[in-house]
Amino acid sequence: MATIELAGLDWAIIVLYFVAIIGIGLYLRKFTKTGDDFFMGGRKNSSWVAGLAFLSANLGALEILGWTGGTMKYGMFVSHFYWLGAVPAMLFLGLYMMPFYYSSKIHSVPGYLKLRFDERTRLLNAVSFAVMTLLMSGINLYLMALVFKVLLGWDWHVSMWVSAAAIGCYITLGGLMSAIFTEIVQFFLIWAGLFLLSILGVMEFGGIGNVMQGLPSTMTSLWATTGDAGSNAMGVTWLGLVMGLGFVMSFGYWTTDFLVVQRAFSSKDLRSARLTPITASFFKMALPFIVVVAGMVAYKLVMDPASGFKLPPDPSDPSKLWNDAALPLLIVRYYPVGLVGLGITALLAGFMAGQAGNVSAFNTVWTYDIYKAVINKKATDEHLVWVGRVTTVVGVLLSIGTAYLAMQFNTIMDYIQAIFSWINAPLFATMLLGMFWKRTTSAGAFWGLLAGMIASFAIFMGFRFNLVGPDLASVLTLSAAPSDMTRNLWQAIWAWLVCFGVTFLISLFTTPKTDAELVGLVKGMTPKVDEGKVWLLGRPGFWAAVALIVVIALNAYFW
Amino acid sequence: MSQNDEGREPLAIWFFVGVILAVYGVLVIIGSFVPGRPTVLAETRPGLWWGSLMVVFGGIFTTIGIVSHRKG
Repeated sequence: MATIELAGLDWAIIVLYFVAIIGIGLYLRKFTKTGDDFFMGGRKNSSWVAGLAFLSANLGALEILGWTGGTMKYGMFVSHFYWLGAVPAMLFLGLYMMPFYYSSKIHSVPGYLKLRFDERTRLLNAVSFAVMTLLMSGINLYLMALVFKVLLGWDWHVSMWVSAAAIGCYITLGGLMSAIFTEIVQFFLIWAGLFLLSILGVMEFGGIGNVMQGLPSTMTSLWATTGDAGSNAMGVTWLGLVMGLGFVMSFGYWTTDFLVVQRAFSSKDLRSARLTPITASFFKMALPFIVVVAGMVAYKLVMDPASGFKLPPDPSDPSKLWNDAALPLLIVRYYPVGLVGLGITALLAGFMAGQAGNVSAFNTVWTYDIYKAVINKKATDEHLVWVGRVTTVVGVLLSIGTAYLAMQFNTIMDYIQAIFSWINAPLFATMLLGMFWKRTTSAGAFWGLLAGMIASFAIFMGFRFNLVGPDLASVLTLSAAPSDMTRNLWQAIWAWLVCFGVTFLISLFTTPKTDAELVGLVKGMTPKVDEGKVWLLGRPGFWAAVALIVVIALNAYFW
Repeated sequence: MSQNDEGREPLAIWFFVGVILAVYGVLVIIGSFVPGRPTVLAETRPGLWWGSLMVVFGGIFTTIGIVSHRKG
């Protein structure tokens, strides 16, 4: 396919973005003096700032391109990843888990594991999280270069090195606060640069009703076709959806992944920290109005040969069409000069913010949970800030190395897609037991977490190398021929169950910590949060209830 | 964040968001007058009204950023 041509004005908009983010980094450098400034954004942010950063740390261009393309395959089912697979977990984090995280004044999620359990559990999680973030950052970099190479004809190496250098520059200068500022800028750029596509798509068809008209029923419903796995495009039942996506994967990611939770730690007080994921949940709910609507518009256009809208072959499998190219091709279809630059900048910002989030989380976990915990226990605050800056540069370089590795070995992508269920799904069981059952012991947590990670990895390898036959597959996934998505969901469920079971059993036979050691870390051992003196509109509980009502209404409307 | 060497707090993020939206809005409006390749729904002038909307929102956010910085 021919590449998208950019006018001088479009280039100006892209260059201006780089100038802006590096300028913000330089500006924030003057205010970044202590460890709390560099790693925790000064702990002075409002729930609006922390909430938008919380959402944006997850809102990468990969998600937007992937789910717009995913809508062409799965239809409205993609909304499950927002309304079922994110919002309930975000509300749970804000209402029930944040008091334990925030009150203990930790720097990271592994830091909580150290306080609640012991050093070995912290180290197990810190090392696996550090590896995961570097891999994710590198893959993000690789896919960014791939998208821009195919669609815009940009050179691989220039795309990767320029964007990585910009990220390294502004995070080294301003730390987490730089990452948060650019994430919020990215959030507004994504809405400014991409929401217009959905609006123009609906305008072309003469209304949203006309867009939906004629689509197969499997594409226009959320729950009506989940009674039988064979009735929907994703090949999953409501049980797999609710347990795998709505519970284990969603809660595992949103409540334990330090990449997003770190943004809440930057809040100025506990109430703001609790409101952080709750505020973010409203914006998360709105995202299907970009990705799902744009995906349906693209589907209708592809189905109509007269529209002139064609998808290119998938670069990794030329026998298939490349659905992920749908959004950039809508930019070409609808956007004039200037708006094209804005749309491309929104995608670029999305890719870069995804990498920046990983790098800033990596430098914190490395500095506090590996360097200070194991290598230099007496390090001063000033020294740790220096280590954080050096780690940022090293992290960026390692990400570039991972990106080149992914370029050489495409199979690495298969492993990356499953990595969340190796690490986050069992960790959620550890956290749940650790925060809500005071009998959970350090030995139980460590061996349970390890067993859950191994179980998840074993199931993944079993399917990857065809060691799992149809009979075993039916037991493991309730389907003799599960799709990749179904496998991932059930792999996460099993990892969670194994971790939960092993932790529970070992805890019954080992010695728990004393009540005094668990104050502030476990429910029942922590003073209850008193919201009595706060006005109704300032209460996390009120806004969580509103969010829950809205998300239930959305599910009911599109049932 | 700490204060800088002159004892000042950093500007609020809303100021930066506002300036970026406003500047981009102006560039998008300018782009709507630049002749380019034909696009679907070009007759609705999306660059003109969307760019104008960005300038308005940019102005609002810039004002919020300045006011909140002055309040400290």
